[in-house]
Amino acid sequence: MADTQIVKPIGLSSARPRAIARRGRAVRYRLGRLVLYGVLLLGGIISLIPFAWMMSASLMTLGETVTRQLLPSVPRFENYVQAWQDANFARYFLNSAVIAAAILSGQLFTSILAGYAFARIEFKGRGLIFSIMLSTLMIQGMVTMIPNFLVIANRVPFIPLPGGSWLNTLQGITVPGMASVFSIFLLRQFFAQIPWELWDAARIDGSGHNLFLVRVVLPLSKPAIFTVTVFVFIGAWNEFLWPLLVTTTETWRPIMVGLYRFAEEAGSLMHLMMAGSMITIVPILILYFLTQKQYTEGIALTGLKG
Amino acid sequence: MTAASLQGVGQPGGRAAGSLKAWQSQLTGYLYILPASILIFCFGLFPVGYALYMSTRRWRVVDRGYVGVENYLKAIGDPWSALLFVGGFLGLLGAWYLWTRPGSSRNPGYRVARIASLAVVAVSLWLIPTGWVGMLSAGDDRFLNAIPITFYFAFGSIPVQLLIALCLAYILFQKIRGQEFFRMIFFLPYITPVIATALIFRNIFSPRELSIANRGMQALGLPAQEWLFESERLLNLLFGTGFGGFLAGPSLALVSIVLFGIWTYVGYNTVIFLAGLGSIDPTLYEAAEIDGASHVQQLRWITFPLLSPVTFYLSVIGFIGTFKAFNHIFVMMEPSALGTVTTVSINIFNTFNKANQFGYASAQAVLLLVIILYMTFVQSKVLGERVFYG
Repeated sequence: MADTQIVKPIGLSSARPRAIARRGRAVRYRLGRLVLYGVLLLGGIISLIPFAWMMSASLMTLGETVTRQLLPSVPRFENYVQAWQDANFARYFLNSAVIAAAILSGQLFTSILAGYAFARIEFKGRGLIFSIMLSTLMIQGMVTMIPNFLVIANRVPFIPLPGGSWLNTLQGITVPGMASVFSIFLLRQFFAQIPWELWDAARIDGSGHNLFLVRVVLPLSKPAIFTVTVFVFIGAWNEFLWPLLVTTTETWRPIMVGLYRFAEEAGSLMHLMMAGSMITIVPILILYFLTQKQYTEGIALTGLKG
Repeated sequence: MTAASLQGVGQPGGRAAGSLKAWQSQLTGYLYILPASILIFCFGLFPVGYALYMSTRRWRVVDRGYVGVENYLKAIGDPWSALLFVGGFLGLLGAWYLWTRPGSSRNPGYRVARIASLAVVAVSLWLIPTGWVGMLSAGDDRFLNAIPITFYFAFGSIPVQLLIALCLAYILFQKIRGQEFFRMIFFLPYITPVIATALIFRNIFSPRELSIANRGMQALGLPAQEWLFESERLLNLLFGTGFGGFLAGPSLALVSIVLFGIWTYVGYNTVIFLAGLGSIDPTLYEAAEIDGASHVQQLRWITFPLLSPVTFYLSVIGFIGTFKAFNHIFVMMEPSALGTVTTVSINIFNTFNKANQFGYASAQAVLLLVIILYMTFVQSKVLGERVFYG
């Protein structure tokens, strides 16, 4: 087929039908594009409608939400003030910020060290230990949830906790999340790409692993560490089931558990519930819009490497 | 996965000067992995063993001693029926093995293997329902019914989600203007806290006449529905059939939750498909074009095969994800759905947190783990062999 196209004498076909054909192709191309954009637009609208509805309902009066108006007659921003005060969101916000910061710093510490060791230090059993860690990704949370609850309640003699039960404490919520195989894997992949010549040069200068990690590897790995930071922060902010189990008081209750309890109590006050939901997702939305390029590319990377 | 991913992490520095240096380097390695290892052991590995231990004990808040397999028997009922049931599924796997093993039809024994395979399928298809009925009559209805509900949830979500995501990614890949903008919008539902979006969808799928879902039905000229409050099964609702139990499909309440799940995860799948499309060598398409291959042919012979590792990854991840899904079902669960949305995860949580039966909940969790491992194994056998790795 390719041959016939090349051999075909160009001068013989008349110009006119070809022009018509070309125009026909252009029209078809345009139509095709129109359909494609139509599909994308539909997808975009479906993605956004729930958010639009939430925003609109959060500014309505209770009566307007009951009759399901599409837009509030007068936007009532005082709903936000009322939801903020009714649900003690100020406290939940602070709690969640502290919890996320604790999990983040813990996870960065453990995963940077482990990721570096798995990528760049040879020790006996490295491959085996790493495969065992990866295999824990197959285990789903329901199996580990009940024993972990007992560990945190200090009821497993095998793992004694310093200072008794950790229920309703910051360490009870955060310590189990301070190591993540996923973060280790991601950082290891990145650290492994750093050229070995740098390590050789550093060794000639007499520096060991500690110095090399801090002075060379970390500055070179800013994008990877940034990606992990965003992942971990969003994960910690959205965490629900574990804090629901280990917090019975308000002292360390994080935002998502607070929102759920608020919805249980104020379930019929839909305008306040929507305002409350809006409040809890604003930090995530801001973070996402600021970092969406790195974030989506990080997600894509993990998907392809997995 | 491990063997492949360990490649490229070579260590030219292994030739350490003197054994002291080498020993020091080893020690540094162990020290570096120590903090992560302790945590992963305490909260990731040890609990699996402990859950196994708990599942053999009568444990309601406090440990009341060893009871052997009593908790498991309570869940699955009659062990012989359970054996038939499990045997049926192992039989299906074996039949698939027999069917694909001979390869070419010229091989000796090809026809024998095919006939044997069909026979095994027939036997398995008899074993599974027989075992199931036996289990239901003696076992825990709540746990057993949660299994088909979980399967409906998984098989209702993943194929649809993958198909939509593939279409969107394919369109976005056609040098579309505003590609990044659309990608960002599609990704938004995935990033937003699921508790908040589940509360929104609880309103959208509310049974009220004027809820957004019912307005949509109205616009299509269809009658208003009860959505999350509807325990009636889909087939009965659509065709007025009178099937009992899970034969009539998922309840409308479960379908609503599935729709919410699809809305949440399509963007994630799209982003990964898009990255997968981007990693296909463009010269392949150029070569195909010169050879006169049509768009459909290019899709069939280049895009699909080269994208298959990504599709496989997403379906495995999606499957594990739907099996452990908890948060959004927990928030959207209504009492009037009459347990038709209670997946295995939700049932384990209820047994543990509401009924305080720690030992029994652990046994259910172990059974769920076994189901997931079996399904992942089947996926990697059946789908994994069709994956084309360049």
